[in-house]
Amino acid sequence: MKPEHQDIWRQGLWQANPGLVQLLGLCPLLAVSTSTINGLALGLATIAVLVCSNAAVSVLRGQLRPEIRIPAFVIIIATTVTVVDLTLQAWFHDLSRALGIFVPLIVTNCTILARAEAFASRQPLVPAIHDGLAQGTGFAAVLIVLGASRELFGHGTLLADADRLFGPAAADWTIQLLPESWEMLLAILPPGAFIALGLLVALRQWLIGQTGALRARAGQSEAAA
Amino acid sequence: MSSERSARSRHRAILVLTGLGLAAAAILATLDHFTHEPIALERERRALAALTAVLPADSFDNELVTDFIEIGIDGLAMPARIYRARLAGQPVAAVYDVTTDRGYSGSIRLLAAIDPDATLIAVRVLEHRETPGLGDRIEVERSNWIRQFSGRSLDDPPRQRWAPDRRDGDFDTLSNATITAGAVIEAVRRNLEHFEVLGESVWSDPEDTEHD
Repeated sequence: MKPEHQDIWRQGLWQANPGLVQLLGLCPLLAVSTSTINGLALGLATIAVLVCSNAAVSVLRGQLRPEIRIPAFVIIIATTVTVVDLTLQAWFHDLSRALGIFVPLIVTNCTILARAEAFASRQPLVPAIHDGLAQGTGFAAVLIVLGASRELFGHGTLLADADRLFGPAAADWTIQLLPESWEMLLAILPPGAFIALGLLVALRQWLIGQTGALRARAGQSEAAA
Repeated sequence: MSSERSARSRHRAILVLTGLGLAAAAILATLDHFTHEPIALERERRALAALTAVLPADSFDNELVTDFIEIGIDGLAMPARIYRARLAGQPVAAVYDVTTDRGYSGSIRLLAAIDPDATLIAVRVLEHRETPGLGDRIEVERSNWIRQFSGRSLDDPPRQRWAPDRRDGDFDTLSNATITAGAVIEAVRRNLEHFEVLGESVWSDPEDTEHD
């Protein structure tokens, strides 16, 4: 079986989105999505880890017998995460401070183990990299949308603290959409994260219900997942 | 025959895993070699930046980062540090580097600079895990709350009034973050009390301060 690239992307972004359909990696997804920039930053870090670990697993797939598969995945993923963490600490300190413990926690993101097991260990290098990119982008997209909506309803802003990611030039990128004094505690606290994710999942289901053609296809892929 | 084959495949599996482990170790060791220095530099830069946030850079001329004593203060994490700022050998300020674990969601580390007359120069929060949007307003980047300590001492307000105003004290309460505010106020008060007890010996060398 050789999946088409187009199909890999459709799976990652929509039909089998790790955040909205597979509901994997909820720990970092819910904990870090307090602002757009945090979401974007963790999303980029997750994409980097996913692509690297998928590529490594795919290259080594001939050597990885079933009995040593899981320990090998764990070594590969832990190494990749440590590489990303050390790189952030050394050259992007502000960002590394903002993301705090959540970069090392990418190691617990089951999306990465799931893609290694379900995809990369059975596919050649190029589709595996594509899958890492697609699934990572799908996860990052959910992180950004969640982060943006929680930031908007919690603080009334978008893109606050962009300078942590893009340097001092981005310090004035903040968009104040609601009055300066706006504050909604619920959106910032963990329950807000669960509620927002629930609404996003519901929105996706509703959109599927709206488009009859999509409904059939999505039904198939969900049954397969 | 089949047991021989399974033994061989087991050996092979062990070899693959060992090789993978060694490769991972080699990659990480190489990366550590390159990132070690930038990370250490950044830590030092952050420590110095925090110290100069509570003290103007030209108000002292000693190596502040290395001129410190370690102390224990009741009610705060041990050990705490006092950095001693001097200008031409004369005491300028004692900078307390302390951590309180009475925050709303864990410990709060802060710096409090006290001048030789036991008056606060400035207080800044270094690290905390308080609620974003509420307790994190103890950071100077997020609100001016932490600036209210400048110029205060144990007589201003009297020490029993060192509490958030919601708890009948004289300090502003951060709305919806009384516990956070209370923890910071209490930690700063304990620093002042420690400074009062220690007196002149704050400025002497560690070997002279026997009562530590």
